[in-house]
Amino acid sequence: MNHLVAKLLAFGIASLWATHAWAAPAPPTDVQAEDYGGDDGSSIVVTFGLSPDDKFTEDESAASPVALYTIQRTAEWGGLYEDVGGVIPLEDDFEAGKASIVIGKNRRGEPYWFRVQAVGKDGTRSEFVYTAEDDPTIPTREFFLADRRWLAFITFVICGAVVGFIAWARSGRPLRVRRIAGLEAVDEAVGRACEMGKTCLFVPGVQDINDIQTIAGLTVLSHVAKTSAEYDVQVEVPTSRSLVMTAARETVESAYLAAGRPEGFNPDVIYYVTDEQFGYAAFLSGHMVREEPAACFYFGVFYAESLILAEMGNSIGAIQVAGTAMPAQLPFFVAACDYTLIGEEFFAASAYLSGDPDQLGSLKGQDFGKVLTGLTLIVGSVLATLYQVTGSEIFSDAVEHLRDVILK
Amino acid sequence: MPNPDDIQVILATDCGSTTTKAILIEKIDGQYRQTYRGEAPTTVEEPVADVTAGVINAVTEVGELAGRKLVDDDGQIIRPANGDVGCDVYISTSSAGGGLQMMVAGLVRQMTGASAKRAALGAGAIVMDMIAANDKRLPHEQIQRIRELRPDMILLSGGTDGGNSRKVVEIAELIAPARPQPRFGSQYRMPLIYAGNAEAAPLVEDVFDDNVELKTVPNIRPVLERENLAPARDAIHDLFLEHVMAHAPGYNKLIGWTDAPIMPTPGAVGDILRTIAERQGVNAVAVDIGGATTDVFSVFPGPDGKPTFNRTVSANLGMSYSISNVVAEATLDSVLRWVHLDMDERELRNRVKNKMIRPTTIPQTLEALVFEQAVSREALRLAYLQHKEFATTLQGVQQQRTVGDTFTQSGGGETIVDNMKLNLLVASGGVLSHAPRMHQTAAMLIDAFEPEGVTRLAKDSIFMMPHLGVLAQVHAQAALEVFEKDCLIYLGTCVAPKGQGKVGKRCFSYDLQAPNLNEHGEMAFGELRMFPLAPDETAHIRIQPARGFDVGAGPGKEYEADVRGGEVGLILDARGRPLALPDQPRETVTKWIQALRLYD
Repeated sequence: MNHLVAKLLAFGIASLWATHAWAAPAPPTDVQAEDYGGDDGSSIVVTFGLSPDDKFTEDESAASPVALYTIQRTAEWGGLYEDVGGVIPLEDDFEAGKASIVIGKNRRGEPYWFRVQAVGKDGTRSEFVYTAEDDPTIPTREFFLADRRWLAFITFVICGAVVGFIAWARSGRPLRVRRIAGLEAVDEAVGRACEMGKTCLFVPGVQDINDIQTIAGLTVLSHVAKTSAEYDVQVEVPTSRSLVMTAARETVESAYLAAGRPEGFNPDVIYYVTDEQFGYAAFLSGHMVREEPAACFYFGVFYAESLILAEMGNSIGAIQVAGTAMPAQLPFFVAACDYTLIGEEFFAASAYLSGDPDQLGSLKGQDFGKVLTGLTLIVGSVLATLYQVTGSEIFSDAVEHLRDVILK
Repeated sequence: MPNPDDIQVILATDCGSTTTKAILIEKIDGQYRQTYRGEAPTTVEEPVADVTAGVINAVTEVGELAGRKLVDDDGQIIRPANGDVGCDVYISTSSAGGGLQMMVAGLVRQMTGASAKRAALGAGAIVMDMIAANDKRLPHEQIQRIRELRPDMILLSGGTDGGNSRKVVEIAELIAPARPQPRFGSQYRMPLIYAGNAEAAPLVEDVFDDNVELKTVPNIRPVLERENLAPARDAIHDLFLEHVMAHAPGYNKLIGWTDAPIMPTPGAVGDILRTIAERQGVNAVAVDIGGATTDVFSVFPGPDGKPTFNRTVSANLGMSYSISNVVAEATLDSVLRWVHLDMDERELRNRVKNKMIRPTTIPQTLEALVFEQAVSREALRLAYLQHKEFATTLQGVQQQRTVGDTFTQSGGGETIVDNMKLNLLVASGGVLSHAPRMHQTAAMLIDAFEPEGVTRLAKDSIFMMPHLGVLAQVHAQAALEVFEKDCLIYLGTCVAPKGQGKVGKRCFSYDLQAPNLNEHGEMAFGELRMFPLAPDETAHIRIQPARGFDVGAGPGKEYEADVRGGEVGLILDARGRPLALPDQPRETVTKWIQALRLYD
């Protein structure tokens, strides 16, 4: 009896093992690996045919026994394989009968072999299917990064616009630039100083020469100095950085030369005061009260001293023109100064003042880029909103395409 | 000078370059009216070379028409009036010999330079050139220019009081060695008015020697925030009489005859326009289009709210001597925008040149008339543009801002001419005054000036405004009464909304109520319509503009007012402002011409 029970138990165990072995899915077919085109040489595409057991059905009770396919890689035939990815086929893959995966982090120029196996839902695994031994895949670097093609296109369009506008301007055709009252007021402010027999004061901000706003300020200083030279008015430039002083002297000297009045240049009125923010502000306030300049220009980086300076200039009756890209200081300048250049206007000053075709064309081209960016933002917002309202996948696909492909 | 209440008969003359015009003003039933008018060639040139001869001829003609003996056997004007003999007051203006030609100088072209120019133009002068520290000319070029000009007078300004002295003296030092020569009289010393920085006056006086008749007056810009033009203007008038007129042929005698100082003609026109605008509380523009030049006068509120007078002389815009320049500046295509007939371009060019070399010819055919009036539209349009650029707020003035001004930072130098605030538009000058139909005058004014909102149109048919300008200084009441009743011929009122739209779309709805007029309807954009309304009639109008159009109450807001009629009537203009002609204007212009019955 005991022997019979033992036989039955042995048969049951053997039956269970046999059942288990039969549930392992059939292996995938036709594994191919090839270099991923249009990359930097680090990616390989592995394509394989789905397991014959892997069928798509919406009936959950009759679901495919295959849970996923695992992909393994080796850099030496017969060497150690490592897991590099897994694929769960999508509906489209079932229709095509095959699936693919991009395997990254490969070494450029090195040969690779791959193998794929199907993994059942119960953890059973099929046999591996290998890529050919004599046909390893060697990833190579391509000249063109394909998934950045939209970036290339956008860059080409914007740069093309810049070049196109420059060519347009060079041909002598007019390029309209919006009137910037603050820059046109420079003549008026210097003229006031001329009529009143007083000086102009130019403050290039509290940052050093490595700040782009300081450089933009020096561009405006060049124009102010040239106008002052023409009107025979002295322009004083106290600075809070020694390098800015040196740069300002060079700028003003060049402007006087350009105006044909080199003898009018006086380097002593362009001087260094202190690096200390409020020491500088205190000096300027005192100077304004004592000298009462007829025109004050503030172009550069400003912090808390902006209102102190602008209010002081206002109280002595000076015409004041300011320009900064510091958003927090703009309201103070707008309220206390006669004219204010806001952010981008400040940076566009050079092109506006010079009327140089190259600079004007460049300015227009950049404007075109901004318009393009603005339009993209609007389109993206509209598509995302429509998706939220309608729930349509067309809009979600469009948003994803915009985000993941075009703006990648 | 008799007591103003006793003045019964006033004789006024205007000695122009070509003709001397005389008018008689008489007190009839307690009111002053202009009664008779005479005209004779001006005799300031050889062989007569005595301006009084032309005056006597013109006055004699008036006397004969009036049945009043105005000139005695010795060739003198009889005063005071006694029955049918003589007049109580005799006054005169003059623009003979090219009028008063001045050069002005200032420190900064847009500041004291502009103020000096305004003072000179306001006094009736033609400004030949302006010397300024920033006029981009080198000193030797400036001296050369001063030598070439031969002005009648120089006005030097510059610097605020206590301001720049050095640069003002530098400009004086340019003028002194240039030794500008006057046009008239070898013994004549060049009159120079200094109206600059008071502190620099002694220094400026040291610069000039006896070759110059220097007169110092208060600063024209004591501070940059304020203009003080009156002293300089008065000085210009005084020196005009003492020096310029005294050396012109016969003027010494004429000065002795008049009861009020002789004024430059444009100065007198400006005075009467300013007086009328101030008395009636209206904003006004007047234009005088001549053969060589076009004068535009305007009175609009300045930044301080006070009426501000401006005058410009467009020296190269005129209908005979300067007609070629008008066509060149405006282009023939622009002129032909206003023409509805087929014309040969080559023939038109010949016509322009013929008009230039034979300035007294008048159009003999309809085509010639249409073309001349088209040219006049462009001349007037360009002159008005120049006027707008000149009539501005003061530059160099500190601005007061709020954060709300962040994106609208308007500054100094903005024009004060606002067509929406324009109440009265007055036309004078041959092509406007002598147009065969008043409708044509009204159309030229509307097309060239593009009045917005509700604007009354008038014309000074016999160019009486200069006489009345001088008369206003002697007897303001008489000048006003004559101006109201006899000077202006009212053409009517133009209602034109500001804004742009699509042709054929609704521009505004109207409801017109008058004793003989009861109309209501809609105007489509691009349409022009005319309703009869007699000069003595008033209509109550209610205008409901479409969205985006403004008749004066704001965009899209209803406007209601009483408007006066005229010889033409009430014109509803739905062509939009600024006025833009369509791509194929021939048919459209033909419709406009038919709507206003200009040539049929």
